[in-house]
Amino acid sequence: MTIASILTIVQYALAPYLWLIVLAAVVLLGAQLIARLGGYRYLRHKSAVANGLALVAGLSGLAWIPAFTHSQLAYVATTFDWVVMIAAIIGVAIFALLVFHPLSYLLRARH
Amino acid sequence: MSRNQDSSHDLSRRRFLQLGAGAGTAALLTSTGLQGQTVNTRAHVVIIGAGAGGMAVANRLSDRLRGGRITVVEAREVHHYQPGWTLVASGVWSPDKTTRPNSQFMPPNVDWIRSSAAAFDPDNRTVDLANGDRLSYDYLVVATGIQLNYEQIEGMSADLVGQHGIGSVYASLEGATRTRDVIDQWIATGGGQGIFTHAPTPVKCAGAPLKMTFTTLSRLEASGKRDSFDVDFFAPGGGLFSQPWVNDFVKQRFDEQGVQRHHFHTLTAISPQDQQATFTQQDGSSITRDYDFIHVVPPMSAPDAVRNSDLIAKEGKFTGNWLDVDIYTLQHNRYPEVFGIGDVIGAPLNKTAASVKAQAPIVTENLLAAMQGKPLPRKHNGYTSCPLITSIGKAMLVEFGYDLEFLPSFPFIDPKEESWVTWTFKDKMLQPAYYAVLEGQA
Repeated sequence: MTIASILTIVQYALAPYLWLIVLAAVVLLGAQLIARLGGYRYLRHKSAVANGLALVAGLSGLAWIPAFTHSQLAYVATTFDWVVMIAAIIGVAIFALLVFHPLSYLLRARH
Repeated sequence: MSRNQDSSHDLSRRRFLQLGAGAGTAALLTSTGLQGQTVNTRAHVVIIGAGAGGMAVANRLSDRLRGGRITVVEAREVHHYQPGWTLVASGVWSPDKTTRPNSQFMPPNVDWIRSSAAAFDPDNRTVDLANGDRLSYDYLVVATGIQLNYEQIEGMSADLVGQHGIGSVYASLEGATRTRDVIDQWIATGGGQGIFTHAPTPVKCAGAPLKMTFTTLSRLEASGKRDSFDVDFFAPGGGLFSQPWVNDFVKQRFDEQGVQRHHFHTLTAISPQDQQATFTQQDGSSITRDYDFIHVVPPMSAPDAVRNSDLIAKEGKFTGNWLDVDIYTLQHNRYPEVFGIGDVIGAPLNKTAASVKAQAPIVTENLLAAMQGKPLPRKHNGYTSCPLITSIGKAMLVEFGYDLEFLPSFPFIDPKEESWVTWTFKDKMLQPAYYAVLEGQA
C-alpha cells in the first residue's frame, strides 16, 4: 500500500469527524495560547486537579469509546483490542491534560 | 465525456494527494516497481458496469492508457456501498451513510454512458445497450455485478421485502432499510418464529446471511426476551461458510445461541399472506413452516445479458450462470480481449468488495499486457475477505483464498478471534478503504 492510498483512506475516515477535530484543535490551541501569553509554562505549574481530571477523562473512554464504535466494553477482548483501547485512553488523557493544565493555571492566576 | 462539478473537485483533491504523497514516495515506488508504466494505444476499452470492480478498473486504466479511449457503461448515478447494507439492516447505520454520487469516483477522462448492457456479441466485439446504442470495443471488461433471482422462489419478489414479515438485506438499500423495520416490528411483538435462509447458488457477500442472523440474535438478546423467540436457519447444503474453520465455528455458535439448524433445505416457495415458507429437501420432499419474520436470500446469477450471450460459461460448474473466465488471470476463457471482475465471474469464491480490491490490479495489469501482446503477468489467488459480524459490536476478520487457507493482512489480528478492533474496522475503516479502491488507490 502506498502513502497516497493510506492518505486517501485516512481522509475518507476522518471526513465525518472533521468538525470535531477542528473543535478539539481550537480548544487545545486556545487554552495553551491564552495561558502561555499569561506566563504559563508546563513544567513550572503543578495542578493535582488537572492531573486528576485528565485521568478521569482518559478512563471515561472505557465507557464512550466502545459506544462511539457501536460496541460495548465487554467486546474488548483480544490482546490487540486492549492495546488499541489503552492507547486511545492514553491519548484522551494526554489531550485532557494539555487542556486542563493551562486552564488550571489561568483559574489560579485569576484568584 | 462526462464530468461534473464533483468530479473536478475530486480530481483536484486526488491530484493534491498524488503530489503530496508523490514527493515522498517516488523513490520507493520506482524502486519497488509499484509505479505502473503508461501504455500508448489507440484501443477502445469498454467497461460494463461501474460498481466496485468497474469503477476501480476505470480509474486504474485511465491513469495508465495514453491515446486510448475508455467508455464506462453505468446507468446509476448513485454509488452504493453495499457492504454497509448489513449494518443498515441491523439498525447500526443510517441508510444515507452508504451512498455517494458515482460522479465523485468516475475518472474525468472516460466516456460515461448512462445505460446498461442489453446484449453481448463477442464474436463481433459489440455490446448492445438498453438505450438502443451499439458499442464496438477492442477490449471489454465485464463488471456487471450480479442478478438477484427472487422470482425463482415461488410467490416471492423484491417488492415484498418489508411486508408480511419478509426481510432481505440483498434487495437494495431500500430493501435493507425495510428489513431493519420489519425486524424492529418483529422484536416489538415480544416473541415468535424467525427464519433465516441461505441460497442454493453462489451469492455476493456469502457471510451476509450469517451476519444478519448474528446481529438479529444480538438484538433479540438486548430486548431481554430472547427465550420468547425461536430462530431457525435453513441452508441448502451441509455447510454454512466456505472456509472450513469458520464453518465449524458458526455451526457451534449457532448451537450455543439456540439457533436450530436445518441443512439440505432450500427455500423454494413463500406464501406472504399466510406467512409460510416452503423448503425442498434433498430427497425432493417439501416441508412448510410458519414464520413471523423470514430473511430471504435469493438465488443469484450473472445478469441475463451475460447469461444469454456467448460470454457465459458453457462447461463446468458455472455453466449457464456465470462469466467464463480463467479464475487466476481473470481473462475470458474463449475471448482473450475480454476480462471479468467482481460478482459476475465464475469463481468458487470472490463475490465481495475485498475480492475486487485484489482483482482490480490484476485485471488492469493483465489487460495492459494483452494490449501489448505480452504474457499475462498477474495471477489472482482468490483472496476474499469477510468481516464476520458475530454480534453487534464484535467481529472476526476472515480472509482466505482459493485454497481456503487463511490469508491474514494484519499479523496482529487473529482471524479465529472475535474482536472489537475488527468490528471497528468494519464500522469505521472499511468504507474509506472501499472508496480508495474505487479511486484505484488501494
